[in-house]
Amino acid sequence: MSALLDARGLTVHFGPWAVVEDVSFSVAPGEVLAIVGESGCGKSMTALALMRLVPEPGRVSGAVLFEGRDLLALTEREMRQVRGRRIAMIFQEPMTSLNPVFTVGHQIAEALAWHGTMSGAAARAEAARLLSLVEIPNAAERLSAYPHELSGGMRQRVMIAIALACRPALLIADEPTTALDATVQAQIIDLLRRLRAELGMAVILITHDLGVVSDFADRVAVMYAARVVETAPAEALFADPRHPYTQGLLASLPRLDTTAERLAAIPGQVPPPFALPPGCRFAPRCAHAKAPCEAALPPLLPAGEARAAACIRLTGYAAP
Amino acid sequence: MTAILSVRGLVKHFRGRGGLFRDAPPPVRAVDGIDLDVPEGGTLGLVGESGCGKSTTGRLVLRLIEADQGTITFAGEDVRAADPPRLRALRRRMQIVFQDPFGSLDPRMTVREILEEPFLIHRIGDAAERARRVRRLLDAVGLAAHHAARHPHQFSGGQRQRIGLARALALDPALIVADEPVSALDVSVQAQVLNLMKDLQRERRLSMLFISHNLAVVRHMADAVAVMYLGVVVEQAPRETLFAAPLHPYTQALLSAVPDPGGERRARVVLRGEIPSPTAPPSGCRFRTRCPLAEARCAAEVPALRAVAPGHRVACHLV
Ligand SMILES: Nc1ncnc2c1ncn2[C@@H]1O[C@H](COP(=O)(O)OP(=O)(O)OP(=O)(O)O)[C@@H](O)[C@H]1O
Ligand code: SF4
Ligand code: SF4
Ligand SMILES: [Mg+2]
Repeated sequence: MSALLDARGLTVHFGPWAVVEDVSFSVAPGEVLAIVGESGCGKSMTALALMRLVPEPGRVSGAVLFEGRDLLALTEREMRQVRGRRIAMIFQEPMTSLNPVFTVGHQIAEALAWHGTMSGAAARAEAARLLSLVEIPNAAERLSAYPHELSGGMRQRVMIAIALACRPALLIADEPTTALDATVQAQIIDLLRRLRAELGMAVILITHDLGVVSDFADRVAVMYAARVVETAPAEALFADPRHPYTQGLLASLPRLDTTAERLAAIPGQVPPPFALPPGCRFAPRCAHAKAPCEAALPPLLPAGEARAAACIRLTGYAAP
Repeated sequence: MTAILSVRGLVKHFRGRGGLFRDAPPPVRAVDGIDLDVPEGGTLGLVGESGCGKSTTGRLVLRLIEADQGTITFAGEDVRAADPPRLRALRRRMQIVFQDPFGSLDPRMTVREILEEPFLIHRIGDAAERARRVRRLLDAVGLAAHHAARHPHQFSGGQRQRIGLARALALDPALIVADEPVSALDVSVQAQVLNLMKDLQRERRLSMLFISHNLAVVRHMADAVAVMYLGVVVEQAPRETLFAAPLHPYTQALLSAVPDPGGERRARVVLRGEIPSPTAPPSGCRFRTRCPLAEARCAAEVPALRAVAPGHRVACHLV
C-alpha cells in the first residue's frame, strides 16, 4: 500500500522551542487518520505545517511527501496549487474562514472559479449541487444566504462544501465538530463518513475528543508534548493501548456504559515547551517511570501489528 | 431521598428592548416552566445542548437573576420570598462554581485574598482564624500553602478550578451549583477535578446541581439526571434508568449521538435539523420539529411532565 501522504521527522520551532518535534506518520488513500492529544500538544500546528500555513516566526523542517513531491520543498506558487486543489482544510470555527460580506453561493463559486475554469451559471449550479451534497436543505435558496444567517452546523457544512469544491485527495479537519452540539456533531461526522466513502478521499482528523476518534478514525496517532508517543489502528488502540500516556488518557475518561466510583486520573500536568523534563516527557506523570526513562528520549519503535510506541518499558527499560 | 432543593414551574423570559424605529424583539424564553429536585447529599445532573437554559436555571436558583414565575424551595425555605438579610444568609449555604474559573477570579487578588474575602464579607474570625481557614481550604482542594501568595494567572486551568472550588467551599455551603466546572479542562486534568469534587461532596455532605453538556461526565457525577430542551425539562430519572432505558425521544437521540470511546459503533437516531430559536419555540411539544416520532397531536398539545415510575418523569405524548 503506497501512502498518499508521508510526513517524516516533521518539526516546528518557535525560537528555541519545538512545538512539533520529529513527527512521522503516513496516510493511505481513502484512510482516516486521527491525530489526538490534549491542548498544546502540537496537533493543530502539525496540521498547519502539512499545509505550510505555520505563522511567523515559526520554522518548519523535515519532509512531507505527497503524491510524489516534498511539499516543504515546493515554491509558494506550487504550494498554492496543492492547497485547495489536492488538499483542503476545515477548522473548528467556520465563521473565521467564511467572509461575512459575501453570500455562501458567491464563496463557493469563487472557490470553483479559482481552481477550475468554471464560470457563471455553471458555477452556480455546481455550488447548489455541493450544498445538497453536504445535505443543506433548500440548497438553491441557501446560495443567497450570508454566513451569519446560518447556524454553526450549517456553516460547517458550507465549509465542507467549499473544501470539496475541487475534489481534494486529502481533507485536513481541525476539530471540525468541537464547537457543535452533540446531535449536530453526530450529523457532521455522519456526513464526513459518507463523503469519505463516496468520494474516496483521505482525512486527517485533528481532535481532542476520543469519542469522535473511535467513531470515525481508521488509525490514530497520539501526541504528547510535541511528539507522537503511539500510533495504532483505532480498534487496537482502544482495546489495548501500549503507551502509559494512552493508557492513562483512556482510563481517565468517564464512560457512558459503566459507572466507576473514581476515575483513574493522570497526576500532574502537561509540561510547557520551555520546561520539558529530560528523557521521556511523560516520565514525571508516569507510574512506570524508572531511572533509564530520564536518560534519553524514547524513540517510536514497532510495538505489534501495524503499531508503534515510544516507551522503553516495552523493551525492558533497555535503550534499543 | 428527600430533596434539599425543589423547583416548580420556574419561568424566565429575557426581554430585549425596542427603540424609536424598532419594536422590541420577542422575548427569549430561556426557561419556560421547569420542575427539578436535587436530592439531599446527592447530585442532580442537568444536561442539554447549548442554549437550552441550563445556566439560566443555575443562576435563577441562586437568585443571581430573578425569576418571572415559579417557586424555589431550599431546605424548606421559599427562596424567592427571602428579604435581603435572609437572602444573604441563604447565599452562605448555596454557592456556585463556573466553567471558566479565570473569568470569575479577580486577577489582581492573590489566592489568599480571594479565599479570605467571604470571611471578611460575613465577618468571620480574626486575622489568625482567617489565615487558618484559608490554609485548610487550600489543603482540602489539594493546593499547597505557598500557593496562597500567587495570582490566578500563575495557575493552570485545573489549579484555577481548584481555587474556584475552595472559594465556593469557604462558608461551608450545603448546596453547590456547578456550571460546566470541567468543560474547559483536558481529560487528564478533568478526571482529577471530578475526583476531587466527589471526595469533597462525601466529606462535607454536599448536595450538587451539576450542569454539563457532557453526558459521560454527568453520568459519572449524578445520582439523578434531568434533560433540558429549549427551556423545558423533557425527562428526569435516576441515573441508571436514564442511561439504560431513556423514554423521551430526545434523550434517546442525545444518548445515541455521543460516541463511546472504544465502544461499538452504534446505530444512531439521526435528528433532523438543529435546535429552533428560543424566541419562537414550536407549538405543542418543543421537540416536534426534530422528533422522529412526531404526530399531529404533538403540534397541538403541550405534553405534561408526568411521573411514569418513582423518580422518573417524562414529557411525551407517546410515553
Ligand atoms: N441576559 C440574557 N439576555 C438575553 N438572553 C439571554 C440572557 N442569558 C441567556 N440568554 C438566552 O437564553 C437562552 C438560554 O441560555 P443559557 O445560557 O441558560 O443556556 P445553556 O443551556 O447554559 O447553554 P450553554 O450550553 O451554551 O452554556 C439562550 O438562548 C441565551 O442566548
Ligand atoms: S519511557 Fe518510562 S516514563 Fe516514559 S512512558 Fe515509558 S515507562 Fe513511562
Ligand atoms: S410529544 Fe410528540 S414530538 Fe414530542 S417527543 Fe413525544 S412524540 Fe416526539
Ligand atoms: Mg451554560
